[in-house]
Amino acid sequence: MSETFEPKIVAFLCNWCSYTGADLAGTSRMKYAHNVRVIRVMCSGRVEPTFVIKALREGADGVLICGCHPGDCHYHEGNYKCLRRYHLLQKYLEQMGIPADRLRLEWVSASEGKQFADIVNDMTEQVRELGPAGIKPVMDRLAV
Amino acid sequence: MEEQRIGVYVCWCGSNIAKMVDVEAVAEEIGRKPNVVISKNYKYMCSDPGQDLIVKDIKDHNLDRVVVAACSPRIHELTFRKALQNAGLNPYFFEMANIREQDSWVHEDRDAATRKAVDLISAAVRRIQFHEALDKRTVTIDPATLVLGGGIAGLSAALEIADAGKKVFLVERSGKLGGRAAELDLTFPYLNSARQMMAPILQRVQNHPDIDVFLDSHVDETFGYVGNFECTVVGKDGKETGLKFGNTVVATGLKTYDPSPMENYGYGKLPNVVTSVEFEKMLLDGKIETKDGKVPGNVAIIHCVGSRNKDIHEYCSRTCCVTALKYANQVCSALPETNVYELYMDMRAFGKGCEEMYARSSRRNIMFLMFDKEGLPTVTKAPAGDTCEMVVEIDEKLSGETVEVPADLVVLMVAAEAQENARDVAHAVGVSMCGNDFFIERHPKLDPVATTTDGVYIAGGCQGPKDIPDSIAQARAAASRILATIAQGEVNVEVTTAVVNEDLCCGCQTCISVCPYTAVSYDEEKNVSTVNEVLCKGCGTCGSTCPTGAIRSRHFTDQQILSQIEGLLSKEVA
Repeated sequence: MSETFEPKIVAFLCNWCSYTGADLAGTSRMKYAHNVRVIRVMCSGRVEPTFVIKALREGADGVLICGCHPGDCHYHEGNYKCLRRYHLLQKYLEQMGIPADRLRLEWVSASEGKQFADIVNDMTEQVRELGPAGIKPVMDRLAV
Repeated sequence: MEEQRIGVYVCWCGSNIAKMVDVEAVAEEIGRKPNVVISKNYKYMCSDPGQDLIVKDIKDHNLDRVVVAACSPRIHELTFRKALQNAGLNPYFFEMANIREQDSWVHEDRDAATRKAVDLISAAVRRIQFHEALDKRTVTIDPATLVLGGGIAGLSAALEIADAGKKVFLVERSGKLGGRAAELDLTFPYLNSARQMMAPILQRVQNHPDIDVFLDSHVDETFGYVGNFECTVVGKDGKETGLKFGNTVVATGLKTYDPSPMENYGYGKLPNVVTSVEFEKMLLDGKIETKDGKVPGNVAIIHCVGSRNKDIHEYCSRTCCVTALKYANQVCSALPETNVYELYMDMRAFGKGCEEMYARSSRRNIMFLMFDKEGLPTVTKAPAGDTCEMVVEIDEKLSGETVEVPADLVVLMVAAEAQENARDVAHAVGVSMCGNDFFIERHPKLDPVATTTDGVYIAGGCQGPKDIPDSIAQARAAASRILATIAQGEVNVEVTTAVVNEDLCCGCQTCISVCPYTAVSYDEEKNVSTVNEVLCKGCGTCGSTCPTGAIRSRHFTDQQILSQIEGLLSKEVA
């Protein structure tokens, strides 16, 4: 039997809610899949589509973006900006032949350590089922 | 790029990290990365010897960049930035990799956690190569303070600050000062007159030379940043007053729950079912009587109306249990012939003197009946011919029996809830709300009066239900924080702001449309956008919107984040 596929997931977390929520999961010693690697941004509104594409291009199998719940953004409305881009980006990914499920946007507040852990576990399983994204080998071969 | 000299430090955090991450192997592997001059592991990097190690290495090895892999940057980023500063390096030549909260504490596979640590540190090492020196910016503090809300919390904060000789603008939306506390008859647990307590406070505030009171007034929006805020106070007659101030205390209080939707209690249908607010008014007027002016022979007081209820408010409103005991005592004293019933879920008589009050109350002629969250009492009109007007049916938890309690007056201990305009206030001053619309403090334990917006503090019921002493304590704590910044005279502000490269800017103004702080404006002459760095809070939304890449979010630049992504994925997860 072949080895279980361990997907690589890059997560962009906003500093005020989601990163703090992820820290809380740690402080509470909750266990979740090790496949996620976090990059901290001040606001989910800072997450450029380029960052998502770059992560997929460099070998990520999935990208997770987490921001404050609607209405709770530390910068008032950065998460709404993120949400709009997310919908467009999903369409773009589909057009490029990349399943839109490889990108996920979730709201995680500073008190939702459990939710963060659950999201990571859930997404890891979801991406595991999708299999490797396989974008990096193609791009490397094309040398772009 | 010129050669860089990076120092990497992997912390054990005692066994917190070392138990799940092979810190020695990690340090060794990272040490082989380009530009990494030294890579060490140490028991506690945040300790004085740990910081000294960094300072010494910076000097001995001429390091120009430092990466620490340890706990969350939210805990010790500032600690290490200071260490860099002590060694003469710009504090922004620092990056932290979070291998505790987001690695060793959340994984159970040591190999996987170790690989993850390597990835996270590799990302930091890549990222830091694009870090740049950022200079500290300070702004002076306007010594005036805006206090929103003229209840006991707002009044206490205002007096504390004004007594230190600093100006206070106190804005109250109603026509009088005092808030909820001024509507009370007696205070628990010692049953002292609230009016006697409030009178000197109100008098001092009204006559204080350093407090300007604005009644029937509101503030729709505040502008600026810590130390230098501005707003317009709008009065009842539409009169507008412009104010300048350095700090804000939000003390907008709370309101009570309207129990009409809870059909089991018959509020609004049965005339002698009243809320605790209405009953308090009766006590204040010195008349405990039914709607048709009769002395009630039976008074039933029902706890947790809207509180501890998963469909309404899940939280405990904190003050109602002891207030209910206060009511029972007052009825017993005023109407010795009347039967008093307390229908409660759990008796939460916490706080100084409150459990003692409960003990005293249980020796009086008060009947205590317990009910369960899942089976609330129901109030109905008594059948014709009964001596009482209503019947309260309760599944009594301790006896296991269903009991019918006679009642002529039913008092509902209604929940405390956030003000209906909490969202507007939150937007006006820039604070966040929790799920219940109460305002969120910066840290639930360690920083209970500050908010995530510098210069804005919260106190009293707007942060969550609380009694008078707790409201005053919080208000005075907020005041003392503010007085400390005023004494300093200046405060450090955000340096990680956005900046426009005018050569790349095409003048499309998309950035202006997304900025929540109106910090970006358009220079018509040059046909470019410009960022007001004092207004910019560094969210970076403009940076990710700019189609030409002309906007750089300092310390979160495209280059920094893209290289961080490369570093994260430079190795197979396996």
